[in-house]
Amino acid sequence: MYSWRMLREKLFTCLIAVLSLLAIVPIVHLIIAVLINGFTVIAKAGINFFTNLPPAPLSREIGGIAPSIIGTALMTIISLPITVVLALFAAILTTEFPRNTVSIIIDAVAKSLASIPTIAVSMIVFTLIVMPMKGFSALAGAIALSIIALPYAYTYFSTALRSIPAMYREAAFSIAMGRWGAVMKVLIPIARRSIAVGVLMTIARIMGETAALLFTAGRFRTGVSFSPTSPADAIPLLIFDYILSPYETWHQVAWGAAALLLLAYIVLFFATKLIVKEVKL
Amino acid sequence: MRSKRDKLFLLSLLPLSLSLLAILIISIITMVLKSVDALQRFGFQLFASSGWSPENEAYGLLAPIVGSLTVSALAVLTALIFSLPLTIMIAEYLQGIVRGVVSSIVELMGGLPTIVYAVWASQYLVPLLKQFLMEPLHSALPFIPLFSCRPVTGFSILAAGISIGISTVPYVTALTLEAYQSIPSIYREACYGIGATRYESIKIMISLAKPAIVASLILGFARALGETTIAAVTVGNSMYLSSCLFAPGYTVAALIASQFADAYLYPYAESVLYVSILIVVLISVALSFYGSTTMIRWRSRIIV
Repeated sequence: MYSWRMLREKLFTCLIAVLSLLAIVPIVHLIIAVLINGFTVIAKAGINFFTNLPPAPLSREIGGIAPSIIGTALMTIISLPITVVLALFAAILTTEFPRNTVSIIIDAVAKSLASIPTIAVSMIVFTLIVMPMKGFSALAGAIALSIIALPYAYTYFSTALRSIPAMYREAAFSIAMGRWGAVMKVLIPIARRSIAVGVLMTIARIMGETAALLFTAGRFRTGVSFSPTSPADAIPLLIFDYILSPYETWHQVAWGAAALLLLAYIVLFFATKLIVKEVKL
Repeated sequence: MRSKRDKLFLLSLLPLSLSLLAILIISIITMVLKSVDALQRFGFQLFASSGWSPENEAYGLLAPIVGSLTVSALAVLTALIFSLPLTIMIAEYLQGIVRGVVSSIVELMGGLPTIVYAVWASQYLVPLLKQFLMEPLHSALPFIPLFSCRPVTGFSILAAGISIGISTVPYVTALTLEAYQSIPSIYREACYGIGATRYESIKIMISLAKPAIVASLILGFARALGETTIAAVTVGNSMYLSSCLFAPGYTVAALIASQFADAYLYPYAESVLYVSILIVVLISVALSFYGSTTMIRWRSRIIV
């Protein structure tokens, strides 16, 4: 009996170790495979990968993804301020007046928004913005991205604000600060690192989103456009189209673009880790 | 005086905050209004058949809806198999630096753009699954309907389910790990106090966390249901409804990704697609709501 218990203990430990290793292996393989494949392509294309237009399907040259890089940057720049401002205001409201009916509703709304599939947002923005404006645009893409990132940004910000001990708020009130002053001069400065992490994670979310852009941004790859009202491309969109295509050259471009996206995400991720590490309250 | 200023403060926050509510309401109204046309024209028939030929105005959503549910169920199963051991490993066995590294990797996985998963899955995972999972299963158990067809390309319901499952592992792990770690340590101490082995105490801890684990799986299911990029790249895009997991299929999201761009050219196509997404949104919102309330209720009961 005793030995069976010990044997079972060992077997269980082995099973857990094997299965968790199996869970980790895919991601390690993914990161290595994408980086190796991608950077081989980028190395072959050289600096042109960042400055040239995508290749024709049957061309031997790899070309570049300049329209997608610019498009992603443009849409992130438009969408980020909208997302951050709206989410921050909503988060301040729900943390300052937690028992107010409006706050409870907004909290529930943010949760429901997060569970709406991103492709649905893309369809809605297509119907409400792309159709009336008679064409795809970077602006429509940015709006779709904002709607998707809003609930996430809201969760980051409200968690950040809620984690501040109540004594700081009380101290602010005791020196006759109003609510507005307490939030602006005391609470937000205290939570600034967690808010910065929230902003970085929101950027990561915005630049990696594919489905939201399918019917909103357009797929303008024949030139580089800086205008918000004209069609644009994005890195995830390019990867999506090219990996589904049957052409070998386009697959290569997709690998290169995926490696670039992965690298950008990893950089953002480590930046958030660095910020968090220095938290001293 | 004080309360008047408070009220002003509240009022100043309202307009921007209410935009979240406005976005939700406008989205729901748009989806419902756009769906009405197709529902009136085709009625229940839309859900009883499968087909997509806009030229003949023949639509049936059975295959993509069943496909979505099957893919999500497979994804949740995959996520459970991997995330439960991972949770136990991180919470019970690992310590110090190794634990930090492993939980960082899980966190890194969680925010990874899904398109990167899609590229990797379509180029590496699907061929691997075809060779080492689908073909052996088919030749060993061809009489089971689920395994009855020969995997041709590998792009199939099963491939999509497992690919999405792998991308859901970090999300489910984060939820279960948070729940597991919020169980007060007195339970574990009580287990060791009566001479339980580690396995026996983990068994008791897991049984305590069961409602939370089920809730995480429900939340995972809701998330898998809306996953677009990975599904579109791995599911094989076929309107044919098959009982076999190795046959190509469709999910609602994949159908929309491939058809919505041209749908406005045909009278009912756009509306039919809106019906399909409305169903997915309803299921997904309901499940998320149920999952998160279950989680909150469990937490308030377990923490003494």
